[in-house]
Amino acid sequence: MDKFKLTNLKADLKKGRTEIMLYPSKCDGCEGEEFHACIKACEEHMKEKYGKYSGARVSIKKKNGKFFPVICHNCDEAPCVDACMPGARYKDAETGWTLTNYKKCVGCWMCVMVCPFGAIERVEGSHFASKCDGCIDEDVPKCVSACKRNALLRTGIKNYSYERRLMVAKKMYGPYVKMHYAGIIKDKRG
Amino acid sequence: MKYVIIGNSYAGLSCVDAIRRFDKTGEITIISDEPYKAYARPLISYYLEGKTTDETIWYKDDNYYEKNDARTMFGKTVSSVDTASKNVVLDDGSIVKYDKLFIGTGGVPFVPPLEGFNPASPMMGTFTKLNDAKKMEAASKVAKNKEAIVIGGGLIGLKASEGLRALGMHVTIVELLPRVLGLALDEISGQITAKRLNKNGIDTVTNDTVIKINLDGTGNPESVTLKSGRELIADIVVVGVGVRPNVAFLEGSGIKVDRGIIVDKTMMTSVEDIYAGGDVVVTYDVINKRPNIIAIVPLACEQGRIAGANMAGVYREYPGGMGLNSVEIYGLPIITIGLTNPNDPSQSVFTYQEGETIYRKLVYSGEILVGAILLGNIDGAGILSAIIRQGAKCLSYKDEFLKGNIFSFVIDNEFEIYNINEGYAIRGDFKDLPEFSRTNWR
Ligand SMILES: Cc1cc2nc3c(=O)[nH]c(=O)nc-3n(C[C@H](O)[C@H](O)[C@H](O)COP(=O)(O)OP(=O)(O)OC[C@H]3O[C@@H](n4cnc5c(N)ncnc54)[C@H](O)[C@@H]3O)c2cc1C
Ligand code: SF4
Repeated sequence: MDKFKLTNLKADLKKGRTEIMLYPSKCDGCEGEEFHACIKACEEHMKEKYGKYSGARVSIKKKNGKFFPVICHNCDEAPCVDACMPGARYKDAETGWTLTNYKKCVGCWMCVMVCPFGAIERVEGSHFASKCDGCIDEDVPKCVSACKRNALLRTGIKNYSYERRLMVAKKMYGPYVKMHYAGIIKDKRG
Repeated sequence: MKYVIIGNSYAGLSCVDAIRRFDKTGEITIISDEPYKAYARPLISYYLEGKTTDETIWYKDDNYYEKNDARTMFGKTVSSVDTASKNVVLDDGSIVKYDKLFIGTGGVPFVPPLEGFNPASPMMGTFTKLNDAKKMEAASKVAKNKEAIVIGGGLIGLKASEGLRALGMHVTIVELLPRVLGLALDEISGQITAKRLNKNGIDTVTNDTVIKINLDGTGNPESVTLKSGRELIADIVVVGVGVRPNVAFLEGSGIKVDRGIIVDKTMMTSVEDIYAGGDVVVTYDVINKRPNIIAIVPLACEQGRIAGANMAGVYREYPGGMGLNSVEIYGLPIITIGLTNPNDPSQSVFTYQEGETIYRKLVYSGEILVGAILLGNIDGAGILSAIIRQGAKCLSYKDEFLKGNIFSFVIDNEFEIYNINEGYAIRGDFKDLPEFSRTNWR
């Protein structure tokens, strides 16, 4: 089968239209180490960026030896934006990311109630709901550069959408799905 | 194309966003009877508590209306809609022409017949507008005995009580049902909530109601008489029983109304080119499987968006919504989703409780989860909402859920539960848009 080009990674990356792609099967919970590398990197970075509204935006959930990074999937019509009563969460028109104006957040937990990925954390002490902002102002998100196993990768939105569909299709139909296309992410670090 | 939006709140503005996503040039006019730019209505109690201020209560950015090239007509009330000649008539007699109309007029507070109640008094009122909150702020300053009575223990009554309490009043909620938030909470969670409230200076009188407000010489309240015969001192009386769809101005317009505005799957009313959404409509309730009025913010936004897309010529259907609620009672977060008080014996209920700090309840209909209460620990609540809304089978996870391991469902199923093509989460990829429609947003 001829390779055909469905996506335009370079153009997307240039315009900052990026997503963080998850490969949960690659995550081993940073075995043998004290901290999850992504969480630590995120924590440090968020403190720098948001000050009072710090805390890691990524978390690792575990079940029977299986690990799963929980992070914002940047929904197109994000339920958290719909549910946010004060209007603290909004869509950034340029990059398409779901961002947060923490000054407006009152801690009503409406977004926690609707996020289908459980990606929003209730920060009890300082009374706000924290969520990943995609590090769109960075070249590479901190969690992505921290992950040694490539379980978190930065990619352009078109690739993201495509890869996600492929992942689901593979899970449902297994080996019958064979797709070739140019530009599939081999190395995102650049 | 002339778009006219009645209602400058969640439903109306979400409709504006959707129209602008697909139609960059059409003329948009937003009409609202309140003099302000859009504010976060449910936050009026937080406003009294000081958790949001005159600077942060505004729902959108300051330049929102210019950015979206929308004409605003604030402080103007729509008195009728002439569907034959496609005109909106304002109370000053002026006329606004439309090609497509959106009605997002929300609700009007419901006041049961009550002797002595006079909303014109500075010490009495309802609690749904920013002006109401400001009125209460002023009232609390002149209250002699610092006693407030709130009639109704639903969401609005509860929020009003919290607000009044923060103003230094001692508050008594009088509720007809056996507990506060009677429709959403069950007995156990209701009891925990009531205890919390009582400890923080809000008394709860349940299974009772106010039959008369006793006035002093100046027409302000002095005390209230309850059905049970008790008399309570009252400087301030707030009626927070709930809201009814705001449809009075539609009489004679030909738009079909049955309690709320009746809409089809595209959020269009019975009259072509007129759409509606938010607290004012009757929507399909996916849990109870019947039309229902569900007055909450997330649904107002969803419905506004579906209507807006259709108005701009992009066909979309609304699958229906369900009741959801999130409150925090003095540090104790409570989330209720879907059906929480089942009365069908074929439905099974599972609960887990740790004293008064953690409580979880799951309601299953066969293998399908149809409702949940999470109290104390709300991590991953949204996953349950997604499961419930989609009707995914998950009886085998009930023990995990009860223990609070809600994420276990996602770990096992990875992304599968979120059907990407029909889209719950990545919902933008609907049929009528070009492939990879996500780029259209940008
Ligand atoms: C105190 C309080 C607490 C709440 N707490 C929650 C909560 O915790 N969670 C939750 O989900 N929901 C909550 N709600 C409900 C929430 O506020 C509503 O669901 C939401 O505001 C509905 O939005 P809407 O756009 O449909 O209508 P509304 O917000 O009611 O807005 C209606 C708009 O229409 C305009 N309008 C009405 N009539 C006319 C007319 N004749 N002419 C011109 N303009 C008109 C009004 O000015 C207003 O701009 C709460 C409500 C209150 C009052
Ligand atoms: S926080 Fe959750 S609901 Fe909001 S955009 Fe991210 S994944 Fe979607």
